[in-house]
Amino acid sequence: MLRVLQNRREGLFCPAGGFFVDPCGHVSRAVITHAHSDHARKGHGSYLCSDNCKPLLKIRLGPKAKIESLPFGKRIKMGDALVSLHPAGHILGSSQVKIEVSGQIWVVSGDYKPQPDLTCEPFEMIKCHGFVTESTFGLPVYRWLPEDTIYAQINDWWVGNAENGIPSLLFAYSLGKAQRVLAGVDPEIGPIFIHHAVSPFLPIYERSGVDLPKVEKVDLDSEQNYSKGLIVVPPAVQDSSWLKRFTYAERAFASGWMAIRGLRRRRNLGKGFVLSDHADWNGLLQVILGTGAETVKITHGNGHALSRYLFGRGIDASLLNQPVSAEVQ
Amino acid sequence: MELFTKLFHDLDSTTKTNTRLDFLVNYFLKADPNDAIWVCWFLNGNRIKGALKTSELRRFASDCSGLPLWLVEECHENVGDLAETISLLVDGAGNLPPIKGLNAIVKRYIQSLVGMTIDDKRDRLREAWNSLRPKDLLPFHKLLTGGFRMGISSGNLYKALARVGKVEPAFIAQRLSGNWNPDSMSMDDIWKSSSEDSRLCVPFPFCLAYPLQEEPENLGTCKDWQVEWKWDGIRAQLIINSGISMLWSRGDESVGNSFPEIIEASKLIPYDICLDGEIMSWGGDGLGLFSELQQRLGRKNPGLSILQRIPVRFMAYDILAIEGQDLRKEPLFFRRKKLEAVLELLPSKFPLGLSPLIDEKDWFTLSQLREESRQRKVEGFMLKRRNSRYESGRVKGGWYKWKVDPFLADMVLVSAQLGHGKRANLYSDYSFAVWCDGELFTVAKAYSGLSNKEIEQVDGFIRKNISGRFGPVRAVKPELVFEIAFEGVNISNRHKSGVALRFPRIKRWRKDKTPNDASTLDEIRGFAGMKCSDSERDPSSIDKAGNLLLF
Repeated sequence: MLRVLQNRREGLFCPAGGFFVDPCGHVSRAVITHAHSDHARKGHGSYLCSDNCKPLLKIRLGPKAKIESLPFGKRIKMGDALVSLHPAGHILGSSQVKIEVSGQIWVVSGDYKPQPDLTCEPFEMIKCHGFVTESTFGLPVYRWLPEDTIYAQINDWWVGNAENGIPSLLFAYSLGKAQRVLAGVDPEIGPIFIHHAVSPFLPIYERSGVDLPKVEKVDLDSEQNYSKGLIVVPPAVQDSSWLKRFTYAERAFASGWMAIRGLRRRRNLGKGFVLSDHADWNGLLQVILGTGAETVKITHGNGHALSRYLFGRGIDASLLNQPVSAEVQ
Repeated sequence: MELFTKLFHDLDSTTKTNTRLDFLVNYFLKADPNDAIWVCWFLNGNRIKGALKTSELRRFASDCSGLPLWLVEECHENVGDLAETISLLVDGAGNLPPIKGLNAIVKRYIQSLVGMTIDDKRDRLREAWNSLRPKDLLPFHKLLTGGFRMGISSGNLYKALARVGKVEPAFIAQRLSGNWNPDSMSMDDIWKSSSEDSRLCVPFPFCLAYPLQEEPENLGTCKDWQVEWKWDGIRAQLIINSGISMLWSRGDESVGNSFPEIIEASKLIPYDICLDGEIMSWGGDGLGLFSELQQRLGRKNPGLSILQRIPVRFMAYDILAIEGQDLRKEPLFFRRKKLEAVLELLPSKFPLGLSPLIDEKDWFTLSQLREESRQRKVEGFMLKRRNSRYESGRVKGGWYKWKVDPFLADMVLVSAQLGHGKRANLYSDYSFAVWCDGELFTVAKAYSGLSNKEIEQVDGFIRKNISGRFGPVRAVKPELVFEIAFEGVNISNRHKSGVALRFPRIKRWRKDKTPNDASTLDEIRGFAGMKCSDSERDPSSIDKAGNLLLF
């Protein structure tokens, strides 16, 4: 691994190519897998990402950041390394980074999921010698149901609330999950409102060809009628005063973590929809075994269980200690 | 099973107590009485004992899902609830025809497991998993593991049943207390009128006290309050009915067999009666320690040597019924008079006696006296409003416990485990250590006392500072210091540190302190030492009536 990738304080470094993948701190050259804030950080000299990721990254980093982009599958030479980006199926524009140095192929997957998603490019399986995988949901208790089943659950919940004239407040991360919810729910049920943190990403999704329903921004000063509405807000506002206007609303959260009852109850929510942008246990195994990789490095999440399980199946799997081990939750 | 599964998921889908109550009422209106009686029994805090060990359940889930046992256990740690973990791991394949009715399911898949061989149990459970639908699994496993509570307090259960049966909740409460099971009682028994009552030997719901969280002066004049010592024993009701005596602890357990001298002594009382009081370790020359009492509690039909080594006494402080007459709505001063009249006939130095009152004129003198609590081996005072009724459960305004201030020590967080329920996937079960010869010794485990925000911060720290893994336990870099409150120190040879703390809990996070500022083992031992040396000059003795003289 060391010739292709090194684990440095700032993150994964490719010495042959002179670049980091999703680094922290300040580095001169960063390859970014996707535009979530725990992967795309400010302060680097230059950025490389996929074409579809670029406009999202711009919003994240501001106009001054130096961002170049590549179409999926196009191979470029960086120093002595051949580098290409391939769809990871996590959110719009999310990529796996394929790095080839003198015949050795490594793939850094970033976050990924092999399950279908209406709002992003489907995951591409890449054969490689070494694979760097996430394991956010690296336990067999995490098993996703088909997307359609979850959308039906959300619609049922929304219909039930609308019939009682109660607004349906749905927490969903502003980039990725919110758009995925919007793309799948039935807009015939009632009006859809969004928190302003969600809105800047919507035109970018639409320009990439994702069908989104008509939505309205929540404007607390105007006379909006929320009683039959679905209101999509990021979970960060859960404890803010903004929500005081909606104390009478029914609340739910769309996240893979909702598979666990205790996590839902801790947020004092009646309803949780198990909709995730990450691979579930079977998804992780399907991908890791599918790459044919002999060596697997595991980043954030419950990596211990996954590595021990893979080890038992004859794969050289171990944990990659991340410099900043912020668990997404 | 369908109605029950629906009830379970309905209850789980709301955080509002009143909505839960409505769901429960609707269930009792619609459900087959043979099923509903099980719901009453389970919600009342009962479980079927001896059906399945949790280790067996984990093993069967491993066999059925094809996952290694260690992975099932790792999942359990992260999910923080065994019933839920198993439900997420096994498939409700549903390829066997479902069995209708909760009663039939409990009998076939839970009750019948008692006494089966392990292979038969495995087959029976596999059958259950094949005949239940996926959404039946969690409620079924909750019944199997005994964790079916669903945010319904027993008080709310009584309310729901009372609403359906159109009777008083207190009446339902009495019907559901004591030892019963769905074979010995039916829904009709719960609802039928009190005149047909044949179950007079069961305890009343205990009246519980709130901790006093303000200055006692705020309670008004001292004269309105009956003041008693707060005993460090086992709360119990002594019931005598037609010559039969029974002793019930707060957990609705009949504990008479463990304390035969109290049962024997009660035979001198010539009435049908229900007394509320405390079982104490009582050495004849004064109060004993709670740890001694614990040795008596677990033992049914104790032998002569332990009866002599650790004698006990029932200290009565309330009377709830006499000769079939319910006194609970009478004011406390009236009940106290009755109680004194009944017990004054008893001989001195007797295993059954009256809990004395403390007759001080003002709060200040009382608060000074309270400082002596520890030396007297009591926990402080009970304050009971003289005109209060005997309530069912915890009701504000009537009874308060004014406990002595706890011991405090600063300790270092040294290891942690993932929590359960709402704290699933959060490192929230902590072990704390103090210094001895330059080494940290674990002396306490604590789970409670921090706010949710603090728990999340500590969780974040732990995840970044894990220094070792021992099964489910994570060793943590010793850096964070907490002030730990506890009620006492017992010398223990089971722990490496040689001490065990009583009721340790986190008082606050000392962000201003470093591990070097933490307490020493000698200081902790000192707290225990204080108790020992003080007990030698214990001032308590006994008057001619057999009452403890404590002041």
